[in-house]
Amino acid sequence: MSKQPAVHTEDVWKVFEHDGIAVEAVRGVTMDIQPGEFVVMAGPSGSGKTTLLNLLGGLTRPSRGKVWIDGNDLTEMSERQLAQLRLQRVGFVFQAYNLLPVLTALENAEFSLLLRGMPDAERHRLVKALFEKIGIAGLENRRPAKLSGGQQQRVAVARAVVGEPALVLADEPTANLDTATSVALLDVMTKLNQEMGTTFVFATHDQRLMERAQRLIRLVDGAIETDDRRSAPAAQ
Amino acid sequence: MNRRRLVLPRLAWRNVRRQWRRSLLTGTAMALGVAALVFARTLGDGAHEDWIDSGVRMGSGHLAVQDPEYRASRKLEDRISAADLEAVSVALEAPDIEPYVERVTPRLEVIGLANSPTTAVPVMIMGVDPVAEGAFSQLGVEQRLVEGRYLEPGDRLHVYVGKRLAERLDLELGSRLVLSAQDVMGDIAGQLVRVVGIFQTGVPESDEGIVHIPLATAQQWMGVEGDITTLAILLNSAWEVPRVLRSVRARVGAATDGVAVLGWREAMPELDAAIKLDDFWGYVFNIVLFVIVALAIVNTILMSVLYRTREFGVLRALGLTKRETATVVFTEGLLLTGLAGIIGLGLGFGLVWLLFRNGLDYSGAIENDFTFSGVVLDTLVIPVFRWVQVVMSLGSIIAVGVVASLYPAYRATKIDVAEAMKFEA
Repeated sequence: MSKQPAVHTEDVWKVFEHDGIAVEAVRGVTMDIQPGEFVVMAGPSGSGKTTLLNLLGGLTRPSRGKVWIDGNDLTEMSERQLAQLRLQRVGFVFQAYNLLPVLTALENAEFSLLLRGMPDAERHRLVKALFEKIGIAGLENRRPAKLSGGQQQRVAVARAVVGEPALVLADEPTANLDTATSVALLDVMTKLNQEMGTTFVFATHDQRLMERAQRLIRLVDGAIETDDRRSAPAAQ
Repeated sequence: MNRRRLVLPRLAWRNVRRQWRRSLLTGTAMALGVAALVFARTLGDGAHEDWIDSGVRMGSGHLAVQDPEYRASRKLEDRISAADLEAVSVALEAPDIEPYVERVTPRLEVIGLANSPTTAVPVMIMGVDPVAEGAFSQLGVEQRLVEGRYLEPGDRLHVYVGKRLAERLDLELGSRLVLSAQDVMGDIAGQLVRVVGIFQTGVPESDEGIVHIPLATAQQWMGVEGDITTLAILLNSAWEVPRVLRSVRARVGAATDGVAVLGWREAMPELDAAIKLDDFWGYVFNIVLFVIVALAIVNTILMSVLYRTREFGVLRALGLTKRETATVVFTEGLLLTGLAGIIGLGLGFGLVWLLFRNGLDYSGAIENDFTFSGVVLDTLVIPVFRWVQVVMSLGSIIAVGVVASLYPAYRATKIDVAEAMKFEA
């Protein structure tokens, strides 16, 4: 019996209207992503990477077609159900980190667990263990403004994975980081993928990230041009 | 689920603190608004109490017991009999009435003429009990006594007149004048009296149009011995009027045959209208003030929402529902208004107590006596402090906060999550 895919899309389209002109950002994407995969979606600017990522995360609805996350049809869900699905099944890592500035690193990382109603002690234990694992132990009580870009992005990764979601979507996570920090962050995510079995889907231009991809999907003009499966990602 | 709910106010509070300069500016504007409201209410209530007190003392009291027809007819046939007066007096001793009653004075009032050898002036002739009336209307107090004295027990053919009347009739202490009025039989009857005192209230209508004579003299002259036209009742406080009025009406209604009890608003509709008009302008002032405060809140919270578009997108991406996102924004508005309201209350009451607890004297702004509705207004306004002012002021500012936070909260729900991620603050 085959495992249920973490992501399944079927002929997904996203059409935006700009000044009365229809722009097809995503055109008929059909794909499966299996649990534990480390998938990179690459392509030039405007190729539809971010839009596809938003569709997979339920942040936007397709113009037509279907998206399933962990067996749940996103296109049939209400706004409230989508919010619940994002909370329980999806983690996000954004290019600009997007930590909440009024919360400490620990509070940012535990935010989704807090929304799930997990008790304080358990939340703190999980987050602290994760901070240890990804090399930011000791920064728990710092506000984002007091963290470097690399540290902020690690906190964002911790926030995305701590709830063990079915899927982590990362949009250009290394775009604002220098080379050394990018490599260190990629090591962290590779490690989490291998040790925790977290499914990662990236949208990126970053060649280093593409080299680590277990599976590289190239998008051109909103459609999949190539879909190459490779070996498991390797920490460098 | 409780933890989930608790995180929303925590986020809201931290956001209020985060933009502390903006919060401080808006909060200060709101606090000053509340302080101004407290200022206006405490002094306004004090002024109104003074108006009512002056009005009811010069007029027919907080409560007036009369024949139901008397107010319209002003005729002796519409009077209270001695038997009914006795029953009313007993009713006023009831435990739900007596503690609230400060003074009671019986009056026999008839419209008549004050005649001198050369002229006649229409006057309200009031037969009064010198002791009860002296304490009630305070027409004989030093500030109002121009010369002579007020009526005293034992006086019989004596009269206490206003200064303007004395001038018109060329009267002085000891002068004699003839009062004439229609007696109970419908005949015109005259009564010779001698001036024992002259008063001045500052109200032209009173100073020319009222004379006091002993009650027994008036009753005998008018042929209505033992009867009166009005029993005026002064309470400890105007605030007690509605409650005591209900009790007096119930007891007097049961004890007499059709005696009416009027509250001061019914007995003195001009004064009631004047206070309502003043209140109306007060409300207009408050509404303008609160609209300005509301705009400040809307501006602050809306700016904050627009500035944090990306942040709200992140919250939604992390699993907050639209309603929860709106709750965060709404709570920010409430926290800001609640805090500003409490500080404004403290500031308002504190300043009024500090600066005006002994009264706000505006006599310098007014050259002559300030009168309306037959009442001389005291130029020293003593502020009145009441819990209802605290509740109303705080309630008003929180209501403004609720209304003003609704639109920004609504706007927060309309943020497109995917678009919000592109937003640069």
